[in-house]
Amino acid sequence: MVRLARSRHVAEFRRIFQDPILFIGLLLVVAFIALAILAPIWAMVKESWTADGRELFDRYLGSPVYRTIIRNTLQMGLLVATLGTVLGFVMAYIQVKVAVPFKRLFHLIALVPVISPPFAVATAVLLLFGRNGMISKGIFNERYDIYGLDGLTLVLTLSYFTIAYLNMHGMMMALDPALDEAATNLGASKWRIFRTVTVPMLIPGIAGSFLLLFVEAIADLGNPLVMGGNFEVLSTRIYVSIVGLYNTTAAAVLSVILLVPSLLVFVVQRYWISRTSVVSITGKPSGTPHQITHPLVRWPLFAVAMTVTGLVFLIYGTIFVGAFTQIINVNNTFTLEHFDFVINGYGSDAMKDTTQLAAIATPIAGVLGMLVAFLVARKKFLGRNALDFATMLGIAVPGTILGIGYLLVFNSAVEVTLPIIGTFTLIPKLTGGRAVFGGAAAIVLVFIVRSVPAALRSGVAALSQIDPSIEEASISLGADNFGTFRRITLPLVRPAFLSGLIYAFARSMTTISAIIFLTTPRTKIMTHQILNEVENGRYGNAFAYCVILILIVLAAITILSVAIGTSSGAEKTIEGGA
Amino acid sequence: MRKSSLLIVCVLVVALAIPLAPTSSRAVQAQGDDTLTVLCTPQEDWCVAMTQAFQEETGIETSYVRMSSGESLARIRATADDPEFSVWWGGPADAFIAAYGEGLLEPYEPELASVLPEVAVGEDHSWHGVYIGALGFCSNVELLDELGIEAPTSWQDLLDPALKGNVAMAHPATSGTAFTAFWTGVTLQADELEAAEEGTGYDEEGAPTEAAVDAAFEYFGELHQNILQYTRSGSAPGQMAGNSEIAVAIIFSHDCVKLQQEGFQDVLVNTFPEEGTGYEVGGMALIKNAPEPDAAKQWIEWALTPEAQAVAQTVNSLQLPTNPETPVSELSVNLAEVNLVDYNFVAAGAVRNDIVERFDSDIAPQPTE
Repeated sequence: MVRLARSRHVAEFRRIFQDPILFIGLLLVVAFIALAILAPIWAMVKESWTADGRELFDRYLGSPVYRTIIRNTLQMGLLVATLGTVLGFVMAYIQVKVAVPFKRLFHLIALVPVISPPFAVATAVLLLFGRNGMISKGIFNERYDIYGLDGLTLVLTLSYFTIAYLNMHGMMMALDPALDEAATNLGASKWRIFRTVTVPMLIPGIAGSFLLLFVEAIADLGNPLVMGGNFEVLSTRIYVSIVGLYNTTAAAVLSVILLVPSLLVFVVQRYWISRTSVVSITGKPSGTPHQITHPLVRWPLFAVAMTVTGLVFLIYGTIFVGAFTQIINVNNTFTLEHFDFVINGYGSDAMKDTTQLAAIATPIAGVLGMLVAFLVARKKFLGRNALDFATMLGIAVPGTILGIGYLLVFNSAVEVTLPIIGTFTLIPKLTGGRAVFGGAAAIVLVFIVRSVPAALRSGVAALSQIDPSIEEASISLGADNFGTFRRITLPLVRPAFLSGLIYAFARSMTTISAIIFLTTPRTKIMTHQILNEVENGRYGNAFAYCVILILIVLAAITILSVAIGTSSGAEKTIEGGA
Repeated sequence: MRKSSLLIVCVLVVALAIPLAPTSSRAVQAQGDDTLTVLCTPQEDWCVAMTQAFQEETGIETSYVRMSSGESLARIRATADDPEFSVWWGGPADAFIAAYGEGLLEPYEPELASVLPEVAVGEDHSWHGVYIGALGFCSNVELLDELGIEAPTSWQDLLDPALKGNVAMAHPATSGTAFTAFWTGVTLQADELEAAEEGTGYDEEGAPTEAAVDAAFEYFGELHQNILQYTRSGSAPGQMAGNSEIAVAIIFSHDCVKLQQEGFQDVLVNTFPEEGTGYEVGGMALIKNAPEPDAAKQWIEWALTPEAQAVAQTVNSLQLPTNPETPVSELSVNLAEVNLVDYNFVAAGAVRNDIVERFDSDIAPQPTE
């Protein structure tokens, strides 16, 4: 049986081989994954396994100080994952199943963090609730000590709960209301339905969100740098080892220690949770979800949503006002200096470079993601799962680790010696100011690597909603693979492609941990500049950067949406059939 | 049907070619010296003013990257075989001495080297001093009142439990300011040991002994209990004090004066430790294998002129200039009135790396009770 399946895979592989387009696509994808994702990770693991590295492993894992740091990291990850998942769940539940006003607003509020630059939330929270906070000190006259775990938890939860929200929102929308109705008809109360029908169906979504949040939280670098206080985590240790000591071995060892929980979580999420999924994805559920109107459920949840909304407004209000203020909370006079600095001053290089590089990375990431999605979802060949897994590593691996890997691999030219041709340069030096294009190539690569996984997932989700028989029909009518893809598949996955592009652009504009070691004199990146400004207390400049960054992302979303279109005519035709 | 296949090949080729196109007008130029890349360690606005002034003076297109001392040293070390920068300007000389010890700098003697004080000329002319400034304590007046203490006037004052979580300094690995603070501690301990028993504080070369270094680690380990967090850049704690995040910042006094000039005049007060304080000589050097050597030499000549050194005052950077011809602002700290320790830069530069590594592994990550 197994053998039969295997030979079918091999046959499929041959079929790919016969189709030059697919074959080239597969080659491209494999080359990209090998060079841009696997090689850096491998280089980093290898670096940590030198004699010095092994010694450091013993020292770190044996020292109580480092054990505390590891414990801190995990503790922060668990806290943020728990709170973020609960918040995401509540917001999604309100959105789908509870009858409350302002639903559209709540939806937007939950999406805001996606386009928000790093440090923005942390800095605003410091100014609002910190030791000299406008609210904590100004209103309650309380010097609240926000540095450390509590502040970090608040900021990270607010920054990342969107992931959980989107995840569970999608799942709740896919829940078939018929199940609720059946339970109601059998006499179950609303609470009992929630407990015995809704929650069990969402377990995979809850667990998946929890794990994703956990990985994001332990990998986060920007926030602990700004408000960690004496609460040390692994990512900040890695950062100091590189920027202060350029000790790549120590950084690699710490990275591997951080990599273990990240990868573990990633594997669990992929192989265990996705298997236990009980949500059926056979097209659209029938009917609309039944709205809960019970006042005891409705109003408390409404209050929660309003609180989150209020917080988000406060935080982004602070950013906006701070961008137009001399020194917010010290000298509150109106000024346009900060914008002048970002648009005309020496801050403008970063703005131009970042936008340009993100614009280059976005279409490549979108197309690559779609290509992998198509190969994974539509073709059955040997190594299909490995391909999917390797692509997803781009996001499962903490950004700092990817950055160090790039330093290790691309800081000198990659040379290959072949028997006949001799030695030739496969890839020129990519990182550092003297590299090709002033080090921009490495940054673009990182942008792509970090964005492809999302494009891949939305692509796979879209493709699995489309019945393959449509494509088969096209092929049996004489179209080739590519023609079918262009005329049938592509129009159907257009919305997914668009969301992949939007995500890629937003992610590239706001990423920090992966590129912090790769910026060069010739290539300045906005998020890195924001860190400099925040670190030196020039909040006005930092906020002006944030406002402009958010505007650029919003403008890009608008342009992409208009250019690609958010829905396709074909969608309506298959709605009944799929 | 085949046409479409051709199309996708074209698309893929284009997609692959995009990253190979120059990303901006600032594409890498041929090795002419019509450009200069400066590694700049002081505060950002001073870096801007200096590079602009140089560009106006010479017509050389000058760009800079701002990095703290330790970061700069790490970066130069990491890119030694193909440096990104041609000249390194500013930041305590200790890092320059360490860099020269590792063979990362190219000696070059500018014409004005002869007018500089002795302390501002490095061994073999490997570096030259561009400014001098003393370390001090920058405190937030209101917060001190709330805590019920006076502004600190000694290193011991900083250990007051009342200041728990209310002191900040930078991380010695990334910041020259913080390293200066640490080496000041080493010097003070060496003096104390030497006073108690000859030969225990200093060795024959006049460098502080291992025992003095250990004693300094002990002091900073105690101080660690009061530190809120170690910042990356040396002047950042001053901003935190200004914004009432902490009560006392250990920074260079001129950075405190700068903050007072820029909106914190009623908030911050500048004090000095009576036991003695360290000082920095801000260095400048030609980087070995510099990609733009001629422009870099031009910068070094220019940066020692009174005109170039006077640029500092336009951005409230009030260090003392090293060229005696440069007019001094009355706001500058008068070093004659400050008790300075006998700061041994050469010994500091020699052991800099060992100290910051030890600090990073033994002190910085320690949890505080």
